[in-house]
Amino acid sequence: MSLLVATNIVKTFINGEEETRVLKGVDVTFDAGEIVALEGPSGSGKSTLLSILGLLLTPTSGEIVLDGQKLTGLKERAISEVRNRRLGFVFQFHHLLPDFTALENVAFPAAAPVGGITKEMRARATMLLDRVGLSDRRDFRPSRLSGGQKQRVAIARALMNKPLLVLADEPTGNLDRESSNQVLELMREINRSERTTFLICTHDHSIAERCDRRISMLDGKVERVE
Amino acid sequence: MRFAVKVALRYLASSPLQTGLLLMGVALAVVAFVFITSLIRGLAIFLVAQTTGQISHINIEPPARIARVLLDGTSLVDQPVSTAQRLQIRNWKEVIDTVKQNPAVVAVRPIITGNVFLLRGEAAASVAVQGIRPDDLDAISDISSKIVEGRARIGGGEILIGTRLARDLGLRLGRPVTLRSDRGGQRLFSIAGIYETGIGSLDERVAIMSLDSARPLFDLPTGVTAIEVKIRDPNDAIDLAETVATLTGLKVTPWQEKNRSLQSALQGQGRTGSLIQLFALISIIIGVASALLLSSYRRRSEIGIMRSFGVSKSFVMVIFVSQGILIGAIGAALGCALGFFFVTQLATLKEASGEQILPVVPSEGGYLAAFVLTTIGATLASILPARSAASIDPVEAIQQ
Repeated sequence: MSLLVATNIVKTFINGEEETRVLKGVDVTFDAGEIVALEGPSGSGKSTLLSILGLLLTPTSGEIVLDGQKLTGLKERAISEVRNRRLGFVFQFHHLLPDFTALENVAFPAAAPVGGITKEMRARATMLLDRVGLSDRRDFRPSRLSGGQKQRVAIARALMNKPLLVLADEPTGNLDRESSNQVLELMREINRSERTTFLICTHDHSIAERCDRRISMLDGKVERVE
Repeated sequence: MRFAVKVALRYLASSPLQTGLLLMGVALAVVAFVFITSLIRGLAIFLVAQTTGQISHINIEPPARIARVLLDGTSLVDQPVSTAQRLQIRNWKEVIDTVKQNPAVVAVRPIITGNVFLLRGEAAASVAVQGIRPDDLDAISDISSKIVEGRARIGGGEILIGTRLARDLGLRLGRPVTLRSDRGGQRLFSIAGIYETGIGSLDERVAIMSLDSARPLFDLPTGVTAIEVKIRDPNDAIDLAETVATLTGLKVTPWQEKNRSLQSALQGQGRTGSLIQLFALISIIIGVASALLLSSYRRRSEIGIMRSFGVSKSFVMVIFVSQGILIGAIGAALGCALGFFFVTQLATLKEASGEQILPVVPSEGGYLAAFVLTTIGATLASILPARSAASIDPVEAIQQ
């Protein structure tokens, strides 16, 4: 069964008199447990598509169904809840909260709605940090972590609430080759062991090649699926 | 939302210098608030005390007479009142007994007042006489301690006068003077003492004598013209005057009515104080709002990422409003403590005469008001930055 089905997604940005149609009717489907690369040159609309699938942007038209639930047309509060409980995000820049330790950063998405970090959250965050190989950096603040380590903390954070789908926007864009490989391997491993679906937006072919499927975009449309 | 408060604390703790400066700014504005409040209230207390210390707080007088003539047996018409007979309180002893029963009353004295001409050789001056019982001499104003020459004694045929009257007419201790009243009574007195109160009207044109000496002068064999009352707290005078009026049916005047200029001066002063307090509060609000607005801008990407993983707008609002509340409350507490210390030190600064250089009263700093208003002000100030932070678009913030 398909985990996520996006049908005829159109996105138009209006800037004064000027209308820019960034997505011109995109249809994509993801199955549970897949790891999919979303490729395309800059300006092809891949980042916009990722933001729309992550409910960070509302499409001008089209429909998104996640795990049988229609997501288009939801209210602000419900959208926040879907983002919090069912989706995970990893961005090119790690965007960790500088005033919190690695463990607190990982637990944050779970702790924010309920008022604090519980024992269970601490245990899960510790386990996730262990998984990403940072159990000895638990109490470090981001400023004391390397770029690759920060990105691994960000991945652990994305997994905190056991999401159905993790959306990663150029997750290795800021990393050297070795760290890039580590991060990708980590995602593959989590994908295998927890059947978490990953959608990785990238223009690095070597990364795309290692995914289950590759969706190439060009000029606001899906050009090719392989 | 407890977690949002934790985030707020973490944010404040993350830049100690900025938070410290902000708290200091709020605290200094609160110090200004406390200082001006204790000064304005202190000045009011000082002026009221200075005024009421020397005067009767409540004056009881006979009711004004209204003469009316009955026309056609139906309507009353007011007629001019004859001044041939003086207004007097005949049952003053009972009135005094009644008034004395009120626990707020400190002293009560009967008094005969009237105008006389003081004649000495060629010189003549209009003088106001106060006829009182010798035991009551210091009941309202402590005259005995103000005597600069002679003794505080008002036996038969003795009077006390002020220094300025003595100087104006060249009067000396023990000299005989003639007093002639507007009732035609005339008697010879000798000057037993000369006082200096510092109050112009008292030093310039008042002569104090015994009640018994005043009786023949004003043709009042039994009655008195007024009863003076001193009470524990002069601020209660208006309420107490009403009670006494209902109780006795006489004309009762609290001191405030006779000192309207003081009242309006105090009111004007109070308004000035409020204005300065308002400016202090406005500067707190502007300071807190601008600091938090800057912080919300600096943390755009962090807030964006929080929003992206599903943290609600209200969570972001709470982060910033709690910062406002914390800054307001801590800054206000700090300011109250500093302000108290500051005015306490000011209160110890005295001139050579022993008078305070500034009449500040440390206990009257309005600390509760300062704390509550500052906290509310800082909270209000944080709403704009909080809304701006909550409306940050995650996509835009993350792409930066």
